[in-house]
Amino acid sequence: MYLILLPILFPILAGVCLLVCRKDLSRKLLTVTTGTCLVITGALAITALTRVKQDFTLFYLTRTLPVYFHIDQISILFSLLTVIVFLCAGFFSFAYMKHEQKEKRYYGYYLMAFGVLNGLCFAGNLITFYLFFELLTLSSFPLVLHTGSKEAIMAGLKYLFYSLCGAYASLFGIYFLCQNCDTLTFTAGGVLQVSAASKDGSFFLFLAFMMILGFGVKAGMFPMHAWLPTAHPAAPAPASATLSAVIVKAGVLALIRVIYYIFGADFIRGTWVQTTWLALALVTVFMGSMLAYREPVLKKRLAYSTVSQLSYILFGLAVMNEEAFTGSLLHVLAHGFIKGTLFLTAGAIIYTTGKTKVDELRGIGKEMPLTMWCYTIVSLGLIGIPPTGGFVSKWYLAIGGLAGDIGIFRYLGPAILLVSALLTAGYLLPLTIRGFFPGTDYDYQTLQKREPCPLMTIPILFMTILSVLIGLFPTVIVDTLTDFVSTLI
Amino acid sequence: MIICIILIPLLAGILVPVLPFRKRSHKEIFLEGAVILNSILVWYLLLHHSESTFLLAHFTGDLNISFRVDGMSMVFAGLVSGLWPFATLYAFEYMTKEEHENTFFLFYTMTYGITLGIALAANLLTMYFFYELLTLVTVPLVMHTLTREAILASRKYLYYSLGGAAFAFIGLIMVIVYGTTTDFILGGVLDPGKIGDKNNILLLIYVMAFMGFGVKAAVCPFNSWLPQAGVAPTPVTALLHAVAVVKSGAFAIIRLTYYSFGTEFLYGTWAQTTVIIVVMFTIVYGCSRALKETHIKRRLAYSTISNLSYILFGAVIMTPLGLTGALTHLVFHAVMKISSFFCAGAIMHQTDKRYVHELNGLGYKMPCVFGIFTVSSLALMGVPGLAGFISKWNLAGAAVNSRNSLAYAGIACLLLSALLTAIYMLSIVVRAFFPGKDFDDGPIQNVHDPNWKMLLPLFVFTVFIIIFGLHSQPIVDFFYDVATGVY
Repeated sequence: MYLILLPILFPILAGVCLLVCRKDLSRKLLTVTTGTCLVITGALAITALTRVKQDFTLFYLTRTLPVYFHIDQISILFSLLTVIVFLCAGFFSFAYMKHEQKEKRYYGYYLMAFGVLNGLCFAGNLITFYLFFELLTLSSFPLVLHTGSKEAIMAGLKYLFYSLCGAYASLFGIYFLCQNCDTLTFTAGGVLQVSAASKDGSFFLFLAFMMILGFGVKAGMFPMHAWLPTAHPAAPAPASATLSAVIVKAGVLALIRVIYYIFGADFIRGTWVQTTWLALALVTVFMGSMLAYREPVLKKRLAYSTVSQLSYILFGLAVMNEEAFTGSLLHVLAHGFIKGTLFLTAGAIIYTTGKTKVDELRGIGKEMPLTMWCYTIVSLGLIGIPPTGGFVSKWYLAIGGLAGDIGIFRYLGPAILLVSALLTAGYLLPLTIRGFFPGTDYDYQTLQKREPCPLMTIPILFMTILSVLIGLFPTVIVDTLTDFVSTLI
Repeated sequence: MIICIILIPLLAGILVPVLPFRKRSHKEIFLEGAVILNSILVWYLLLHHSESTFLLAHFTGDLNISFRVDGMSMVFAGLVSGLWPFATLYAFEYMTKEEHENTFFLFYTMTYGITLGIALAANLLTMYFFYELLTLVTVPLVMHTLTREAILASRKYLYYSLGGAAFAFIGLIMVIVYGTTTDFILGGVLDPGKIGDKNNILLLIYVMAFMGFGVKAAVCPFNSWLPQAGVAPTPVTALLHAVAVVKSGAFAIIRLTYYSFGTEFLYGTWAQTTVIIVVMFTIVYGCSRALKETHIKRRLAYSTISNLSYILFGAVIMTPLGLTGALTHLVFHAVMKISSFFCAGAIMHQTDKRYVHELNGLGYKMPCVFGIFTVSSLALMGVPGLAGFISKWNLAGAAVNSRNSLAYAGIACLLLSALLTAIYMLSIVVRAFFPGKDFDDGPIQNVHDPNWKMLLPLFVFTVFIIIFGLHSQPIVDFFYDVATGVY
């Protein structure tokens, strides 16, 4: 039972110890300690996922507010993603953080964010979820402002206040839900009282909308997406990788929990809330791609891409049928691995060359072939070319969209997804082209191999392979998902 | 017994300049001893209270000065007596850098007795009497530094408070005329037979009295004295201007609303609507001003203005749950805000820095103080697991439960204010802990945490913030009992 607490508390405590400890640890010792903590946490999380069958109430905040943990398929999915990305990015940072200062502080908050994310995945009711949601913001904003430049600090604050704004908008809904649901425990199909839903239906729809907007801030949904492209480039590359691959997914997880487990899909389906949500998601998809296409700075381009890709997921959630939902979950995984890899490769490039703009990176593929091959493979995945992960998830999303009972969005949705895929190719592939085909006037004499150290390449390679594997064997995941997805819809 | 606990601090205060202390530490022991003894007596009295009323003086008719312990007095007296010993301990250390120590402790200790008088008053007249005394006894504390600024601030404080009390006095008269008695009885004392068709007049008088007492609770537009009064030494700003004085205002409003006019008379009237709107406006107004302010103590003072209106918001919902929420925030906010004020005081004491932009990088030099400041900031924002979350939860829960659409808007105000709170508190924290990469810590090389006299109160308050956050059910249950009249 207490097994479920270990992957949450251990990294948090380890992180706090690192932060409080005033002695300057040597770099080697720090790396070894953090590495051990990361591996132990990963192992603990996996153990908890496989071993813990029961739910578990830790204690009661007040009589009606239990801190309660429960593991279901959604938790397993998100938790696995968290563990893999955090381990990969963690090992990557051991090499990357050499050129940053105050590593101890970075690893402290990194570990804390890891633990908090585990807590978020395991949370079994809305209050526990909200608790970890707030803590996630508070433990991850120091990662964003880590470099300490003026822009980084402003970006960190922007992230912090946007996220808090979203959290408070959701809290508004939680206050009302608390008194109109029998329980706030996540239950497939929703827990909103029938009497409340029928009597004050329109008000509760408004609340649902507030919560979608509020939690949507974290998932970078228009109109509150502006923090994402500011925060990502400012953070150190491994931090942006976790931010983009996992932390923004907390917003997705939140929306799944709120819409499918608290309000219930039936309550939202066919209302103005669904329509607006679909519209916002599609606007974000298109706008994100468009902005990414125009952006010269590599990491910022990737950040806009995250904005766009996350709204693919949100679109799938908003359609509310089985195929689209499956597609969303697959895209959570696929995008997690792909975008993690992309940010890590961007980090590797910055680390070795110091260049940040796409235009400056001519011939990079000749210098760092392995890294750029990984970049190219996952880029193809994100565009949606089979047999990589992105193809399957987008397939399901498009099928779901076409089959959905969502009016004009039935055609508009898949169409925008396709246009956006085209744009994705347009903003990701130039780097490949420029990197591998620098042109005839490129000076091959001065070329030297600058492949980064294994500590950087292995995590990149590992996540690339994973993203391909998802594309090759999607049935493994889809089969496990089918049964329980049908209970939600 | 009751009169004892009011007199001990008064006497102890008067004795400070009179007694020939040979060393400073003797004076400290004497004062701390008196305050602790008094606090123990208060708690003994609260735990073993009887229903009887203690009559001190009798004027005419049923006008008298008398004391009684009921639920509300237990909350307020318990709170004040819990905080005072710690604040006194803190003041010893803080006042080593200020002058006129004796005068300071004279009035500081006397205020304790007066505040208890307000808490234990059994009827409106007694409360009014001590309420006026409170103004008079705290004016010298605001004036303490005798700078021009301080004198102006204290003059403003005096005029505002006396003016407010005058309005409240009209309310008192009306309760005497239209009520059956001036004693505090949960549910109100107005006599429907006497009121007749004068409903609207009485409601108007209620609003006037609300605003009158609201001056001390810094309700907008009568709030400008509070940030100015921040020129007083920090123990005063922390204990009096975040707890004792301002909460006397909130306490008086609760007495007036629930125990004199009665919620049954007020509920659903235009008077309620008016005061809710005023309170909602103050919540947002206080926070926005705090955001603009760069002087740390003034920023906290504006934050107090906003938070006091949280309490009043709970109170003017006029349901038992609303009162529960109000009392919860009354107590929890006291602990959170005194903690953050003491941190600000500790910073001023150790570094002489008063403005937010001067705090860069101090977090690593004074880790304890800023750690505690962070906890209290998070608590004020309402992060779950800390005290502020519970009190906001109760307030919002009461608002939802009241099914009053204006109260729904109030929840939105609460949350907006929470966001602003996050911005103005966390920007301090971020400055202190993340000064930026070009930061040079040369000028603050020798800064360090203060000694135990300052840190002990801070630690105790932090522990309470966490306990209240994690295990608040017993105390909230107690507040609910108070609100429903069990005590």
